[in-house]
Parts: sequence; structure tokens; C-alpha cells
Amino acid sequence: MLKVWAILMKECRSEWRTRYGLNAAILFAVTSLTAVTFAAGRIPDRPDILAALLWLTLLFAALSSMSHAFVREMEGRTMLLLRLVASPTEIAVGKLCFNLLFLVVVEAVTIPLFLLLTGAPSVRWSAFLGILGLGTVSLAASSTLVGAVIAQTRSRGALFAGVSLPLLLPVLAAGVAGTLAQWEGSEIAPYVKLLTAYAVALLGMSLLLYDHLWED
Amino acid sequence: MSATRVRVEAKGLSHRYGHRRTHIHELAFAFDGPGAVAVTGPNGSGKSTLLRIMAGLLRASAGTFELQVEGVSLKPGARRLALGLATPELSFYEEFSATENLVFAAQAHGLAAPAAAAAAALERVGLSPRANDLVAAYSSGMKQRLRLAFAMLHEPAVLLLDEPGSHLDDAGRAVVRSVVEHQASRGLVFIATNDPLERALAPREVSLDPAAREVTHA
Amino acid sequence: MIWRIGIFLWIAVTMTVALLFAPLVPVLHETTRVLYFHIPAAWVTVVALGWSMLQSALYLWKRDLKYDDHAAAAAELGLIFCVAATVSGSLWAKAMWGSYWNWDPRETSIFFILLLYGAYLALRASIEGDEKRARLSAVYSLVAFVAVPPLMFIVPRIYSTLHPDPIINPQGKIDMDPLIRECFFSMLIGFTFLFAWLQKLRVRVARLERRFAAEV
Repeated sequence: MLKVWAILMKECRSEWRTRYGLNAAILFAVTSLTAVTFAAGRIPDRPDILAALLWLTLLFAALSSMSHAFVREMEGRTMLLLRLVASPTEIAVGKLCFNLLFLVVVEAVTIPLFLLLTGAPSVRWSAFLGILGLGTVSLAASSTLVGAVIAQTRSRGALFAGVSLPLLLPVLAAGVAGTLAQWEGSEIAPYVKLLTAYAVALLGMSLLLYDHLWED
Repeated sequence: MSATRVRVEAKGLSHRYGHRRTHIHELAFAFDGPGAVAVTGPNGSGKSTLLRIMAGLLRASAGTFELQVEGVSLKPGARRLALGLATPELSFYEEFSATENLVFAAQAHGLAAPAAAAAAALERVGLSPRANDLVAAYSSGMKQRLRLAFAMLHEPAVLLLDEPGSHLDDAGRAVVRSVVEHQASRGLVFIATNDPLERALAPREVSLDPAAREVTHA
Repeated sequence: MIWRIGIFLWIAVTMTVALLFAPLVPVLHETTRVLYFHIPAAWVTVVALGWSMLQSALYLWKRDLKYDDHAAAAAELGLIFCVAATVSGSLWAKAMWGSYWNWDPRETSIFFILLLYGAYLALRASIEGDEKRARLSAVYSLVAFVAVPPLMFIVPRIYSTLHPDPIINPQGKIDMDPLIRECFFSMLIGFTFLFAWLQKLRVRVARLERRFAAEV
């Protein structure tokens, strides 16, 4: 656990010094948010469209920035250093924690802006944040594993979005439906269950596979 | 300093990339510490590959490599603390200072006193005066010294040095010599090199020369 | 050779009987006939996906490239059958529902598999080195397996579907005309053997390609 903590702290400090990833991710999220809200206008009476736009913005913000955690290690050729001091699972869990933190920061900026700019109806906070949180865990888990695989391909970042998408479709479907249900005041339990089960399955499978990520 | 009882043994070790070239073929050797061993062979004969397999970074296509410390055989996943590797392929975080890089490595290794270990390792390679400079500002010779410091940071039982003298001036080569002599007195050190001076530091040898595929024991 | 002739005769005879003599299902009218092609193709799509994922797991366990050959071959063939099932289904949807595509849950499922095969094969194409390609694509294949149950079984249950359930209906019974049933199952068997035969060929070709590459 201390090793995972050391890796997480290293990531945070590195991000703080360079701010490569976070600046780009927040800029991208705000840009797409502006484009989306500008194009759609204020649509407080269309929660179905709002829910879809919210998750699309989050999805693209994640897809555009989350591969950098491992790609940067490959490009800086520091992956070897990491592998000499920690096991693949420790490295991946450290990165997973960092990705999770990263997404939370991006969302903390994006979501209030989204609610404000679209004039969305007031949310039921516990339901809204619960669905958002569960979706974020899946997003981070998928991005960590796919990011580690993609960083070892010839094209590095280019394939990331396409290869991630099949894994994120269940999150997108349940996230949109759950957010909509939350706005419409209907039952959110089935979506919470689905999102929880998916996040747990994704994390469990990831933990089984992390050890096979780096061998050459 | 008391010597660690250490033994390495390779049996039928082979590695190939794809299915085209055989890099290492049916290699066998056994060495008991303390002492120094040279790994020799022309370019492309697989010196770096052998060190990567020993360090647990690469899975051999066939054969086994065993590492025993104090009579206990270590599993591949448990070897990181017993092994130190310095190779030209190793890079550091440019946005961190040398100290920050090594403190991170020591923490990730799970060492009890990371700051002290980092300071001691930097002292040994003569980087103390520049310890708090960002690695981005380092010359290639200083980076090579930092690699040596990283490899012995955790006082491993087996030290693996790949071309340790590259980019180094005379003072740097003296550092390599002292690191090798120190390690040879307390554990095992493998030096992959074609430099006659570095070669002379090690009485024993693993030859990867395809022309003369044999292992010499001292 | 004997396999090729056998499979050809089997499918040809079944298809003739099915198209000329089998009666039509009342609601489906003339579109009943797509049954003999569309469902077997969809069935092989799913079988190939399962086979590919199973072989991926075996590769990570045993580390023998022959499992990777199987995983890759099944994915390539699965993609072909998946396109066949998607196109025939889309044509049928135009005839029955009036549009080629309307995101019915069944359409979503098959589209997901299409994306998954595409992503898997794109990933394979961008990794150099046989062992590395085999290992990383197996990791991806297994993590993608997590997304299969939600998208195949759970999401179609949440959203209501218009898709007929000729095999697995809620009552769990098969209520088909005996001749339709016989033709249908005969096609299912024919397609399964067609897949098995193609798979065997593709794996042999992959093995020969590797041997050829080793000799030059």
C-alpha cells in the first residue's frame, strides 16, 4: 500500500510541476462544453438531451486526456525505472488512483459549469453524485488498463478512444439513463446496481490482468 | 560490511525476438558471491537482453534463471529488492531533481529511510553537490552517474551494470571502479562491457560470443 | 476436402428445403426466410467471440502462441459473420420496422460486438512482436469480456425490444412449425461447422506464415 501511495504522490507532484495533462484536459472539457451548450442553447425542459450531453462531454474529456499517464512514461522512457522499483500491479493501482483523482478534478470544473450554462433543472444531489461517482470509477479503471496497453503499441495515443469505447458503452448507457431518471424523479436503483456491478467487475478483472501488462 | 551469501544460476536460458533471430541460445552458468563477473560479446550478442532477463524485466523464451540470497531462492516477483540494474536505457523524471527521483525510487522499493538512502547513493557517485538540480539540467555523464546511484540505492545483493562507463570521464570511471569493487566484496556484480579496462575489473566471465559459445569459470 | 464438400452440401440442401418448402411465420410473412441466414450468422458471431476470449485466457495461462493464433482467427472470422448478421438484420428491419437502423437493443448488442472486433483487430495490427501482440491483445480481450454480459443481456432487458424471440423467448419454449424448426437447426449446425472449418484453415495459415517468417 505504501508503494502505491509513493507512486500516486509521484504522479501528483509530476502533474503539479508540468500540468501537461490537467491543463489540456480541463481546456478540452470546457471547450467541448462551450461548443455543446452554445449549439444546443439553454434547454432546461429537455433532461433527456441534457443527460446525454453531460455524459458525452465527460466521455470525450476522459478519452482525450486519460491515455497520457502511461504514454508519458513510455515517451520519457521512465517506464523502466517504475518497473525496477514496483510490481506491475502496484504501478497500475497507483496510476488508477491518480486517474481517478484526475477525473474528479476535471469533473469538479466541468459539471458546475455544465449545470450553469445549460440551465439544467436542479439535481437530486445524492443520486446525481452517486451515479457520477460510479461512472467515474469505471471510466478510470478502463482508462488505466487500456492506457497501459495502448502505450505499448506503435501508434501510442491514437487508438485509445476507439479501443476504449466498447468498454465504456455500458457506462454511457447506464449513466445517461440514470442521470435522466434522477431528473425525472423516477427510480434510479437499477442503474446504480448496473453501474456498481460493472465497476466492480472491471476493477476485479483489471487486478487479475495487471501482472501481464509489462514483460519486455 | 558483511557479505551477503548469494548465488545465481542459469539453465538452458534462451531468448529470441519474434521467430527470426535467436538472441541467447541455451546459456548455462552458475556463480557464487562475492565477486565480479564480466558479460562479454560483440554488439547484438544479447548482453543487454541477458541483464534484462536477470533483472526480471523480460521473460525468457526457454530455460530458467535462479537467484538465491542466503540460501533462499527468490521468485521473479520478489527479486526487485535483491537486484539493481543500471542500463543506458534507464531514464529519470526530468521535472524532478536527482534527490526526488531517488527518494521516490526508495519509497517505491519500500526502504525504511528513503531520504538517507538517496543521499548516501548520491554521495557514492559524487553527485551530492548537484543533488537538488532538476535532471533536465544534467549532462549525459551526470545521468550515467545517477543510473549507478539508482542501481545501488537499495544495497542489492546482485548489481547488474550495462555499459557502466558510457558517457563518463576519468573521475566517473573511477566511480565505476569503486562501485564494482565495493559490490564485489559484499555480493555479486555483473558488468556487461566490451571495454578492456572494465573487463579487467572482473575475474570471471560469461561469454555471449556466438563464435565461442562457452562459459568460463574462474 | 471432405469437410468442404460436406458443409457445402449440408447448407445447400437445407437452404433449398427452407426456401422452397418451409411455411412462413404469420407475423413475419415473407421475411421469415431471413431466419435461416441471419440467426445462424449471429450465433456464429457470438460463438467466435466466446472462442476468441477463451483462447486469449488460455494464452495468458499457457503462453503458447497457438492459442493466440486461435484467438486472432476467431476474431477475424467473427467480424465477417458479425457483418453478415448486421447487414441481414438491418435489411430485415427495413422490411419489418420501416428503417434500417433504430438502436433497438438487439441492434445495439450486435453493434457493440462489431466495435469490439474492430477495436481488437486494430489493436493487434499496431503491436510489434508476436509475444507482445499475443499478450497485450489477450489482456484487452479479457477486459472487454466484462462488457459483454451488460450489453448482451442486461441492457436489452432494461430497454424493451421489438426484436422477435424465436429461440429464447420469455416462456423458454420453442414454438415453431416443425419443418421451420428442422431447417433452422440444420442451418445452425451447418454454420457452426462452416466456422469450425474456416477456423482450422486460418490457424493453419497463421502457423505457416510464422514458420515462413522464421526461415527467411
